[in-house]
Amino acid sequence: QETINLTVASSHPTVVPWVGMIQTHFMAKTDEILAETGTYKIDWNEAFGGQLYKANATLSSVEEGVTDVGWVFSFLEQAKLPLSQGSSNAPFATSNPPVLLDVMEDLLETNEAFREEWESHNLKVLGLTATDLYDFYLKEPIEGISDLDGRKISAPGVLGNWLRGTGANAVDGSLTSYYTDVQTGVSDGVLSLALGALPIKLYEVAPYIARFDGGAVFSGAVAINRDSWDALPEEVQNAMVEAGKYYTESHGQDLVDRHEMALNKMVELGAEIIEMPDGETEKWVGMLPDVAGDWAAPLEERGIPAKAFLADYMEGLRAAGETPARDWDK
Amino acid sequence: MDAQNTDAALPATGRADEPAPLRAWHRLVETFAAVGTVLIGVLMLIICADILARNIWGASLPLVSEGGALLVVTLVALQLGATVRAGRLARTEVFILPFTERHPRAGAALEGLFDLTGAVVLGMIAWASLRVIEKDLNAAEFIGITGIATLPTWPFRALILAGFAVAAVEFAVRLIGAFRSMGGRA
Amino acid sequence: MSPFEIGGGAVMLLVALILIGMPIGIGMLAVSVGAVALLRNETVAIRMMTQVANDSLEEYLFAVVPLFVLMGLLVTVSGVGKDTFDVFQKLLKRVTAGLGVATVFANAVFAAITGISIASATVFSRIAVPEMRRHGYTNRFATGVVAGSSVLGMLIPPSLLMIVYAVLAEQSVGRMFLAGVGPGLVLALAFTLTIWILATTRKSFVFERTDDATGYDDIRGRDVLRKSIPILALVTVVLGGLYGGFLNPTEAGAAGAFGALVIALMRRSLDRVTFWRILVETGLITVSVLFLILAATFFSRMLALTGVPRELAEFFLSDRIGPYGFLCVFILLIIALGCLIDSISIMLIVLPIALPVADAAGFDLIWFGVITVIATEIGLLTPPFGLSVYTIKSAMDDPTLRVGEIFRGAVPFILAMLATLAVIILFPSIATWLARI
Ligand code: NA
Ligand code: NA
Repeated sequence: QETINLTVASSHPTVVPWVGMIQTHFMAKTDEILAETGTYKIDWNEAFGGQLYKANATLSSVEEGVTDVGWVFSFLEQAKLPLSQGSSNAPFATSNPPVLLDVMEDLLETNEAFREEWESHNLKVLGLTATDLYDFYLKEPIEGISDLDGRKISAPGVLGNWLRGTGANAVDGSLTSYYTDVQTGVSDGVLSLALGALPIKLYEVAPYIARFDGGAVFSGAVAINRDSWDALPEEVQNAMVEAGKYYTESHGQDLVDRHEMALNKMVELGAEIIEMPDGETEKWVGMLPDVAGDWAAPLEERGIPAKAFLADYMEGLRAAGETPARDWDK
Repeated sequence: MDAQNTDAALPATGRADEPAPLRAWHRLVETFAAVGTVLIGVLMLIICADILARNIWGASLPLVSEGGALLVVTLVALQLGATVRAGRLARTEVFILPFTERHPRAGAALEGLFDLTGAVVLGMIAWASLRVIEKDLNAAEFIGITGIATLPTWPFRALILAGFAVAAVEFAVRLIGAFRSMGGRA
Repeated sequence: MSPFEIGGGAVMLLVALILIGMPIGIGMLAVSVGAVALLRNETVAIRMMTQVANDSLEEYLFAVVPLFVLMGLLVTVSGVGKDTFDVFQKLLKRVTAGLGVATVFANAVFAAITGISIASATVFSRIAVPEMRRHGYTNRFATGVVAGSSVLGMLIPPSLLMIVYAVLAEQSVGRMFLAGVGPGLVLALAFTLTIWILATTRKSFVFERTDDATGYDDIRGRDVLRKSIPILALVTVVLGGLYGGFLNPTEAGAAGAFGALVIALMRRSLDRVTFWRILVETGLITVSVLFLILAATFFSRMLALTGVPRELAEFFLSDRIGPYGFLCVFILLIIALGCLIDSISIMLIVLPIALPVADAAGFDLIWFGVITVIATEIGLLTPPFGLSVYTIKSAMDDPTLRVGEIFRGAVPFILAMLATLAVIILFPSIATWLARI
């Protein structure tokens, strides 16, 4: 039996579900498949939780070989992974994380520009990650999207776009700043994920959850450094590809289960869910300017085929039976 | 940190008896440091402006947190050379000082070894930072939010590279000085 | 060589280099880049180091370092420290060894607006020592009190050491600050107690003359109020802003620095030359601290690749030694290093190795941080390298004052710190109660 040493790392701790699942699903599955023949065994050196790099360097760390395997957070790589921002610039195209992940997996095979955008960074993508669904966490309740007019809403960088046209003022923030931002009056509420809001106790300062189940968004990939990849025996490569697929699929289902669980838990802890009336999401989407077009135009100018990618993405969703709240590609 | 007291005099600007190239070099190091020093004031002002904007108009200014973070790296890099020159990088002196007093040449050789290490390490950082700038340029890397306010990162990266390069050369200049004092006391 | 051996060798080489006087940050970078080259290859090693140099300091929180340093230097020139001392002198002049106690209390209050101990040591060696000498206190005791109570500067918030710890341990800066309040007050009381014990049982240690008939600079009640306003205003801005929920730590630093600037300008204690000199000094201190943080980041990332912290955790938490055995070893190590190296360097060298162990031992990392800070600060007072003592020596500008005399004067205060440390280990809630509300 041959032992292979590999370092696996992340900027975020393993309590973040999709980081923990690198251990429990990706690594475990790889080990399990390799154990079938017993020819190879991987000795994982685990460096999760920012031991090797912080969130501002998830892409370059895999690219430079600081770690062999790592989770790349595409949200924070707007410039280097432009097409990967497509789903967050086409809001409410789907509220179904597993389908979103399927479509992205296909695009990685069929859309050359998208694959190239990742692989040009000296890495091989193994698994994909997405967010659960977005809701508003507010200090004061609302009855519909138009009540947000004039309120200050914290949102992570790119998602500030989702507030354009609603009359709300976007305040740039991140999971680490939301709690104090709301508490100190920097903002009146947050556009956030249930999975993010629960651990930071956002409901303590923003107890009203206006439930929109707003679209899932592509968030990144579990990837391996290309040089490390090329040095692996084929059997190990095959095992990792299969484990990566398993990871993506399990993660998609986990997002669905956990979103509901997290909302229930917050209600238990004192939060109040305000169900939005029918058609409210459509109303919100209708208020938005052409977010996708504004995103694609400057990229097209630089010769990046953003429109074609957007069309492929939307078409993929429709082909999978989703009904996007707005046809961003048309 | 080994600030002995707050009146610590500034490192003297190029002395009159120094050769002209060395004087010019020291002027460069100090110019870098001065820019870094001004950035500290800028940092204080933009953060205070952000506090005011938030409490008066209810909206925070764009780019303050991301720009502030980038300014911190930049000002450290810019002032590194002057810090090296002032001998203010933290170190233990319980061995080296008495040792140099007793064995001036061996002490100077040891100091030379430290300077060489500093020059090599910081030089490697400066050299490898070229690639960082190149990648930032290729990807049109920026901070901020598209559609609201953005700032390209490469000018900051260039300053950071320059700062590390200057500090590396400053170590090299000290190395030459260490050699001189070894030879001079022979 | 196995990764563990590479890591262990790197740590030992680093210690040797530091002892012979290589700049600590340079030593950390050089040793780490070499170790990563062995673990991986040269290209990865250099790129990893470059990434650390470009990214690791890119953090809004780190802006607090120059800002709190700037604030500390500004209040030092503007005479706020002298006013604080005057107020306590007036209030405590009838108490036994009242000037000593006044120095401790004034330091505790001054600590609430400065984040660096050298600021306290500089200010009070110029104000309190001459006043105590005039009233018949020994040189040894007068300088010892100032050296001892200067450590309050980094225990009571704001504090540069707490910020560094919070960064390394990923704790909230605001909570670390709060955790310092209780222990800071306990330490101030321990110092007061020490002074009374000395003044009653070891009179010759404290007083040269006991027939003190020298008059006090009497300030009137109205002056007490006038002199208290600037410091109270600054405390309100910084700590009020921070805990009132108006400001994050970075913003509190900026507002505090700006406030200190306004006070210095209003008192006309700031001309253009002085202001520039303060900015330059701020830059030098900032770089020496942040460059160390940068280097330590690379050092700890290199260690993470070797698995050394994990193995150490297993060793220390085995049944033979146990968590509290580890804590003892840790404290002794820090105190020993404190004889040689400055506070921030100690934390940056030791914590990357010790934090994973403390975490695995299930220690409350806020409590652990307070213990680390106090143990580290003992080093400010211990020979041969005791930063507070040297600061006093250079600020006093008195050729007859011997460094050894100041070290001897500080001994009782070291004992008080050790006692306080023991109390906080036995009663963790002193540190954690306020921080965990
Ligand atoms: Na303080
Ligand atoms: Na010491």
